[in-house]
Amino acid sequence: MLKHFKRDINQWSLYTVTISLFITIPLLAIIIYLFDGTGEMWEHISNHFLWDYISNSLLLLVGTGIISTLFGVSSAWIVSNYEFRFRKWIQWLLFLPLAIPSYIVAYAYVGLLGNGGTFIRLLNSLGISIQKIEMMNHFGLIWILSCSLFPYVYASTRAVFLSFPKSIKESTQLLGASNRRYFFSVALPLASPAIIGGLFLVFMEVLNDYGAAKYYGINTFTTGIFRTWTALEDLQSAIYLSALLVIMVFAINAFVAWRRRKKSYVLKIDTSQQQSATRKTLQGKKGLLYGMILSIPILFGFVLPVIQLIYWAILTFSEMFNADLFWIAMQSIGVALSGAFFIIITSIALIYFSKWNPIKSFQILKKVATIGYVLPGAIIGIGIIRSSQSFIDFFSNTFGLKIGFLFYGSSIILIYAYVFRFLAVAFNPMEANALKIGKNLGEASQLLGISRLKTLFKVELPLVRNVIISAFVLVFIDILKELPLTLILKPYNLNTLAVTAYAYADDERVAEAALPALVLIVIIAILMSLLNYAEKTFLKATPNSK
Amino acid sequence: MPHIVAIKNLSKSYDGKTYALSDCTFTLDTGKICAIVGESGSGKSTLIRLIAGLERPNTGSIIIKDTIMSNDDFIVSPQKRHVGLVFQDYALFPHLTVAQNIAFGLKENKQDIVTKMLRLIKMETYANTYPSELSGGQEQRVALARTLALNPELLLLDEPFSNLDAALKSNLRQEIKHIVNEVGTSMIFITHDLYDAIDIADEIIFLKDGNIQWHCPVKALSKSLENDTVKSLIEELKHNAEHLLQLLKH
Repeated sequence: MLKHFKRDINQWSLYTVTISLFITIPLLAIIIYLFDGTGEMWEHISNHFLWDYISNSLLLLVGTGIISTLFGVSSAWIVSNYEFRFRKWIQWLLFLPLAIPSYIVAYAYVGLLGNGGTFIRLLNSLGISIQKIEMMNHFGLIWILSCSLFPYVYASTRAVFLSFPKSIKESTQLLGASNRRYFFSVALPLASPAIIGGLFLVFMEVLNDYGAAKYYGINTFTTGIFRTWTALEDLQSAIYLSALLVIMVFAINAFVAWRRRKKSYVLKIDTSQQQSATRKTLQGKKGLLYGMILSIPILFGFVLPVIQLIYWAILTFSEMFNADLFWIAMQSIGVALSGAFFIIITSIALIYFSKWNPIKSFQILKKVATIGYVLPGAIIGIGIIRSSQSFIDFFSNTFGLKIGFLFYGSSIILIYAYVFRFLAVAFNPMEANALKIGKNLGEASQLLGISRLKTLFKVELPLVRNVIISAFVLVFIDILKELPLTLILKPYNLNTLAVTAYAYADDERVAEAALPALVLIVIIAILMSLLNYAEKTFLKATPNSK
Repeated sequence: MPHIVAIKNLSKSYDGKTYALSDCTFTLDTGKICAIVGESGSGKSTLIRLIAGLERPNTGSIIIKDTIMSNDDFIVSPQKRHVGLVFQDYALFPHLTVAQNIAFGLKENKQDIVTKMLRLIKMETYANTYPSELSGGQEQRVALARTLALNPELLLLDEPFSNLDAALKSNLRQEIKHIVNEVGTSMIFITHDLYDAIDIADEIIFLKDGNIQWHCPVKALSKSLENDTVKSLIEELKHNAEHLLQLLKH
């Protein structure tokens, strides 16, 4: 292996190493600074808070996992197996809770069910005497996170249910099995890798949540990291907490990978034989029951929070609808556009540079570079703050240069953080598509004397154009919604819609948070519908493919 | 006659344990057509990918037209080898027309060369057609024209006839031979069908489990049949072995 290292290493190997290491600096920083020992407050934290952080985070994971699975799997099953009025609309509406960040749902629920809340007043007017429904506890937070995050399970499970060949169902029927038995003995086991995959994304979002947990006063790892760093001013202990959270994330990751491997099956997919042709019509009591099952997540995850936000937005409209709001929306879009742009460029560079690098052992580096998606924003934020401080100190001590303003006065490190956090969102589908196109086209171009980079622009990128557009939109939406990372790393004069909504709510002015939150939701919902439309129409066809 | 390609002790392993190609040595004279014959997994594709520079050998050297293309310390990139390869799946760029595909690697005289190539493959009316609208045989010809447009010193073809029906295959074999003779290049093609080899090649190499088992001129193949190795190799290829053995004997 080493014998040919000198012969085989090329510029692409060096670029792959450089990009991967540059992206993973925040994680490396946390690992390196762990050796500096614990911070001053560590004993206090470990005696008084650590158990809370661990137990609350675990409780949220288990509770949200169970409810998200129930919501996601049941709705996916109904929309893919039954025909009913407005099915196409409903299957799209079930994605919409993803358009509302969970911290905004959390604010809306307090407005709905809190003291003098909209829903409480409605109940009172109907003669039902009730003061409030307590939401600001563990179970309230579990409910809110489940209503916001179940679409991850729904999306992955629905895709599998829709791909089942109808022969599978027909053969179970011919073997005398009931529908119930088909669901539990055949469909559910076959869909379990997809359910686990969706559940993994739910877990990552739960661990990443800061706004909702903070607002509801639940101490989790992420709120703990913020608190240790800002209120207790102990960055080193925050790094220790981050390291513990990284261990928790990797343990979940390993568990999910193990379950998926154990449960993974190969389904022969024949699109002409898919079960969309055999959907049963829903009617009667069953129709009513299934209709209720579908309406619960849509109602609680989207409709009720949006109604509350609209109500608040109307109340505060004259105060909040101004040029500032427009400017904040523009800043949000600007930051998301820049972040998405750099993420796509980095993904393309990493996919193709690592493909052109002949040293196979370097391939692992691209996996390392995409690890950010499983790390909560707070960890990345702390890693970046710590490592940039080292750069600033180095330049100041060695060259006498003050470069702090570059890091803290501009959006450079925020954009960099987005690249680390969301690289996998673009990288994974783009790499899968690049591999699907195969290496022959690129090789054919090379053998015709065209350089790698020219081949990339003339052949390879035009053929993955569709997936680049989809990935760009998905990353753009993720950045628009992002809160903890933006809160930690944004320059003083930058305000995004997410941060503005959080700031008002944190200031107990939750009604004022509604309009920026609604603008955010509208932008995301429009982008989601555009992407949905585009994927069904012009993004569907590969150019001139046979 | 000078060698167009000289391969010496060439080996390739993808996983570091088993060898897809092991200690291969052979030469091919300029202007000759060589068929590499073997079953699936015998190392045929690996061999031509190594010659094209698309894979890196573990050991051995490749010399093309007296220039070292790769050895233990040195490797020339595929772009600089002046070698053309027609892929088994043709690898036509789906977003470009036939004319654009043929012109893809050209730097000058694009229009003239494209017209000449279209005439050579008898597809003048297909210049603005996309690959998705072509038949398998037409795609094959366009892929060949695209490669020949650059006037390569060595032409490599990966299973050029495997996706075609019998009638088309026979026509195309003669057509390729004619075209290659006309442009005066050397050619190595791989096939698992002995008929292809006997029909158009000057030399034949039998590959099995990554090793060269036999290398001889096609004309000398009937004499080689006395050798048990060659006989069993032909029998293993199965494709009408009995008929073929009879044919060769006569």
